[in-house]
Amino acid sequence: MPDPRLVRVLSALLPRRVVADAFEPAWEDLRIAYLIRRQRMTSPLGKAVLRPGYLSLIILLFLDCWRIAILVRQPHPAITEPKQTERVHMFLYLIRHAFRQLVREPAFTVAALLTLALGVGANAAVFAVVEAVLLRPLPYPSADDLVILNHRDKRTGITKEFIAIGDYVDLTTRQKTFESIGAWGRGQTSLVDRDDPYRVHLLGVGANTLDLLRMRPVLGRVINADDTRENAPPVMMLGYETWKKRYGGDPAILGRVIRLEQSERQVVGVASEGFTFPPNATTDIIIPFDLPTVAPAQRKSGWTFAIARLKPGRTLEDGATDLTMMSRQLEKEFPQQNLASEYFPLGLRTALAGNTKPALLLLFAAVGVVLLIACANVANLLLARSLGRRREMSVRLALGAGGGRLALQLLTESLVLALVAGTAGVLMAYWGSHALVALLPQSSDVPGLNDVRINGRVLVFALGIVVLTTIVFGLVAALTVRSERAVGVLNASRGSSMGARARRATSALVVAEVALAIVLLVGAGLILRSFAALLAVDPGFRTENVMTLSVQLPGNRYRERGAREGFYTQALAQIKATPGVQDVGMAAVTPLTGNNWTSPFERPEQPVPAGERPPEVGWQLASNGYFKALQIPLVTGRLFDDRDSPSSPMVVIVSEAIQRRFFPNESAVGKRVKIQGDQTAEIVGVVGNIRRAGLRDEPRADIYFPFERNKPGQTTLFVRTAANPEKALPAIKAAITRIEPNAFVSDEQTLAHVASESERVTQVVLWLLGVFAVTSLALAAIGIYGVMSYAVRQRTREIGTRIALGATRGNIVWLVLRQGVTIAAIGTVVGLATGLGTTRFLSSIMYGVKGTDPLTLGTAVVLLVITIMLACYVPARRAASVDPAKTLAEQ
Amino acid sequence: MPRELPPLSHLQFLALGVILSSDEPGRVIRDVVADYGVRRTGAAFYQLMARLERDGLIDGWYEPVVVGDQAVRERRYRITAAGSRAWRQTRSFYETVAAAAAQGRLSNA
Repeated sequence: MPDPRLVRVLSALLPRRVVADAFEPAWEDLRIAYLIRRQRMTSPLGKAVLRPGYLSLIILLFLDCWRIAILVRQPHPAITEPKQTERVHMFLYLIRHAFRQLVREPAFTVAALLTLALGVGANAAVFAVVEAVLLRPLPYPSADDLVILNHRDKRTGITKEFIAIGDYVDLTTRQKTFESIGAWGRGQTSLVDRDDPYRVHLLGVGANTLDLLRMRPVLGRVINADDTRENAPPVMMLGYETWKKRYGGDPAILGRVIRLEQSERQVVGVASEGFTFPPNATTDIIIPFDLPTVAPAQRKSGWTFAIARLKPGRTLEDGATDLTMMSRQLEKEFPQQNLASEYFPLGLRTALAGNTKPALLLLFAAVGVVLLIACANVANLLLARSLGRRREMSVRLALGAGGGRLALQLLTESLVLALVAGTAGVLMAYWGSHALVALLPQSSDVPGLNDVRINGRVLVFALGIVVLTTIVFGLVAALTVRSERAVGVLNASRGSSMGARARRATSALVVAEVALAIVLLVGAGLILRSFAALLAVDPGFRTENVMTLSVQLPGNRYRERGAREGFYTQALAQIKATPGVQDVGMAAVTPLTGNNWTSPFERPEQPVPAGERPPEVGWQLASNGYFKALQIPLVTGRLFDDRDSPSSPMVVIVSEAIQRRFFPNESAVGKRVKIQGDQTAEIVGVVGNIRRAGLRDEPRADIYFPFERNKPGQTTLFVRTAANPEKALPAIKAAITRIEPNAFVSDEQTLAHVASESERVTQVVLWLLGVFAVTSLALAAIGIYGVMSYAVRQRTREIGTRIALGATRGNIVWLVLRQGVTIAAIGTVVGLATGLGTTRFLSSIMYGVKGTDPLTLGTAVVLLVITIMLACYVPARRAASVDPAKTLAEQ
Repeated sequence: MPRELPPLSHLQFLALGVILSSDEPGRVIRDVVADYGVRRTGAAFYQLMARLERDGLIDGWYEPVVVGDQAVRERRYRITAAGSRAWRQTRSFYETVAAAAAQGRLSNA
């Protein structure tokens, strides 16, 4: 027997009277029928089908009961006024009446509900993501005062989110607008205090970092200035989760010494519950940075990320001015190292959200346009519907109902429509927002992206849209009633015709729809052209069939260079021997990940004049196999090889851009370049240019240092395979762990995926803007179809007369199309003017195409005109097939 | 002579006719009414019966029945005196109309 709880739940959702009168006895009958059938049923298939069939019947019964609850026993609204005079009763009456009206006109209701629900749903979905990423407070007290310090090279415009250690020290002591500036950095290590090593994410902090984040420890103290000075005893803080999970929340953890890979540290505190920095990162342990208190002579001997908190009352602009002034001072004082260096602050949220922020705002604006078009369409539907109800309204007016009362009734109908659509829209938003999050790049830094939900704020937003749309429709309704009063039609027996005011309103709505649709079409077209341009970009290396993976060796066992040397020699040999592997190389920087690490470039025989700083070029640490795996062509000279050991003279490889810029009339190979202080290195090879930071990056000058000499404990492997590299991945990982079981392998991804991820935001914007544009085009087509169909109905007699007087079918079709073309032309002109004004909002996403791209604008117009012509053609054909004899006879 | 319209609709007339001589479960009444070509959904049918009950023309109650190994309930109805009176008045109306029609007195010609 099906679960009676379902029936109880359904009963609770129905008016009590309907349950007693109809639902209960009818359900008992269904039960009896079910039991009798079950007794008779012998085939297993029949028995299997019986139960779902019974459940469907119960659901149908429930819906039927609602139909009865709405329709039955209500006085006819067109004639009878309600007896209840109390406002509440009046309100309930209006609501019931509105529901009944919607049920009675299913075609109108379904069309309006779907259009509105789509509009509200899409808007609420995008808003849910906007709310989580851009509006929800960051998890630090007064987070709006937190800024991230960034560096800009004024000569190249290249920005970096980390700053030189010498500049950090000076900025910290000289600044006036910040409460303090704190250093920070992230990394990974292992807790090796027990037999089971525990991989942890660490946050390194300066003296003030935790204070300015206002972190209050649940146990012990925070890391302070004493911990960050040179030769301070090594200490650490545990993250709350680590303390709970790894140490069972033991309060005696304070003072305990815990062994990490490369050091032993005493626990001095436990972070507050849920504390992480950045907000979406994992912070398992916090350790102090060892920072100098006086700027070192080599100002760029180290780098750090820096966060600052503005003093109360100070703004971001104050911070920017302060940093600009300090940057100029440092430029004057240290021209050799700081020329053209400029520091500027970015709000913490802006810095974390990166290019997701403009993309989200753009989508939010685009989806708002879709809502406007949807509203225009529903308003048109309402206008058309109001014609069908002219007689009802006239009768009610004649019977003494006031215009205000009728407007109230129409407003209530709009409200009910909008509320039902809003509820459906919120449900759609629930799915839509999760789909959108899945589409966006999964960067751990974008705050809130892992916690997108339909919360109170999103509901209030959806409610706001609903109220707004109600007001829009309410205005349409009020206009209609006013025109009814003016006409005073009880003589409207000759059918329904639209007044001049309503006709103008309808045409204006369709013009607006066309204009808005073309704005979205132009936007989507420009992004499509940008994406095509990005796909056509040659990054300078081959991304196909290359797997990248990050390898980190346990620090305690690989402190010595010899140990690392042994590991890499074995690993390279074993991976190379894996079936299907063609080349394997190593490098510090993965291309197309936004990395902007640079190094000064200076020829010893051409020193930069005093007071100037050598230009910066891209920095990379790469092995011989890196160039082969990525198929970066060798132009002249040689790649790194066994000759480039730590004991041999230092050598470097440069890109073609360096050859052209610094050695225009000679070969770079064999020349020397300054690398640090007075140390120089010989250029042994010139390789092709690559786009290092991203596909939008111009091919830049790069200098490559030999991995063969350095071999750090952490590196990225680049493995080229003959076929799908993902198939070789298990064998590659096995080869690594065979040599070192505790090696930490992460970030396994194909280079093609890295390239695709680098333009993920563009892809998402392209897809969604494309969907919005097609939706708006379809809505505009429906709108214009409705207007033209109505116009043809209105002009049937005129058309009949024209045909009788000798007009051809072609004349009649053109007569109708002309009206459509006029609307389309006005809409297109308005839309193009608006579209051209709005393309600048796309500038952060556009690539290789101008906002005035004639191909895009032309295609958008042609597409729109074709769509409108198609939408007009059906009513035009209908007009052409009017029988003149019949229409004249009716006349 | 002015005549009054019948107090029952044809559907009510049919339903009351089924329980004129003995009480019956709702589903039986619904089946008989359906045989006369008047098909109603379960909910609509019982809504009709509830209205008859409220007007005092029938009495309704639940009676336990056993189907297979399950005890369930079914709604049964009996006609009241007022119901019988209304049914007879309606029948008399239809008979009068039928007789008048047979004699051509309802004709417009």
